[in-house]
Amino acid sequence: MGMLIVIDQPAYGTWAGREALDMAFSLAAFDQPVSLLFTGAGVSWLRKDQDPAGIDQKSVAKNLAAAPVFGIEAVMADRASCQRLGLDAGDMAAGVTLVDADAQLLSQFDQTAFSA
Amino acid sequence: MTDTDQHSFTLVITGAPYSSQAPQTALSFARAAVAARHRIDRVFLYGDGVHLASALVTPPSDETHWPNAWARFLTDHKVAGIACIASALRRGLVDEGEQKRYELTASNLLSPFSIAGLGEWVEGTVKSTRTLYFHGG
Amino acid sequence: MNVIHTLHILNKTPEHPRFRECLGMLGPDDALALTENGVLALAGGQPFGLERVYALRTDLSARGLSATGATVQPIDYPDLVELTLEAKRVISW
Repeated sequence: MGMLIVIDQPAYGTWAGREALDMAFSLAAFDQPVSLLFTGAGVSWLRKDQDPAGIDQKSVAKNLAAAPVFGIEAVMADRASCQRLGLDAGDMAAGVTLVDADAQLLSQFDQTAFSA
Repeated sequence: MTDTDQHSFTLVITGAPYSSQAPQTALSFARAAVAARHRIDRVFLYGDGVHLASALVTPPSDETHWPNAWARFLTDHKVAGIACIASALRRGLVDEGEQKRYELTASNLLSPFSIAGLGEWVEGTVKSTRTLYFHGG
Repeated sequence: MNVIHTLHILNKTPEHPRFRECLGMLGPDDALALTENGVLALAGGQPFGLERVYALRTDLSARGLSATGATVQPIDYPDLVELTLEAKRVISW
């Protein structure tokens, strides 16, 4: 139920993912149920030990860590995408649920949106 | 559903004019929706979509002026056109209020667009029958 | 015909990663509407495994394509408006 925000853009080199996270936080701030799905190159958000200081950017992982505090219901990652990008459970930040991104998953939500 | 049912749409445009087809696809959709007696609740510009609300866009005279075409639609049908403030400020789109606040040399928001927060989008997703997104290619 | 479960509006070229993502998330009672460069998929003639596939006529014409001979139904904007209301939900890819 509620809205699924999908992040399929990489963590760095584009702002689309950050703007997707802003959408999710905004829904949560207005007490609207919202979950996040990372798929495709978007699963690069979930890798541990990100250090973007050298490219003068803030860590997206830190932003994402605030998700439960803001009231985001679930943070999910597509299993097949994680495999393709060489990300196994041990590489991943805490609090992420592995799922299969398919029609059945989408049908659990009233609305689904990308930021770009 | 019968033909007499009136529905409302929130249209979210995230693709910029002249680098994507998003604003024109959205405008064609909006015109068709209004012609079918539905209502456009609001148009929300997000990410690169905020460039549609720039008063400084100046395409060659033989190309469609998408910001002006959209401004005319919004005025004719009394539809609110809102650019996300965070997206807009990052990309150099400001109204007079933000110009003063940040002590900038100019403002460039095209009337009747306004600048506001993501709350306007959230409200659209709750109130409208459908919220549709027009992304870049 | 059954109610459309989800209408997927796909505007990406077949080479775009999101095109593949979209195809991977289609359900049997879903419908697909190809818009903008999404219609380029029809040039390759690949099947979508869906009963209901639509393509915007103006986008087809602009690119010198047609939906003839395929299992794809050309539509105009008023049809697209109707489809978005007929479907239980809509996803814009």
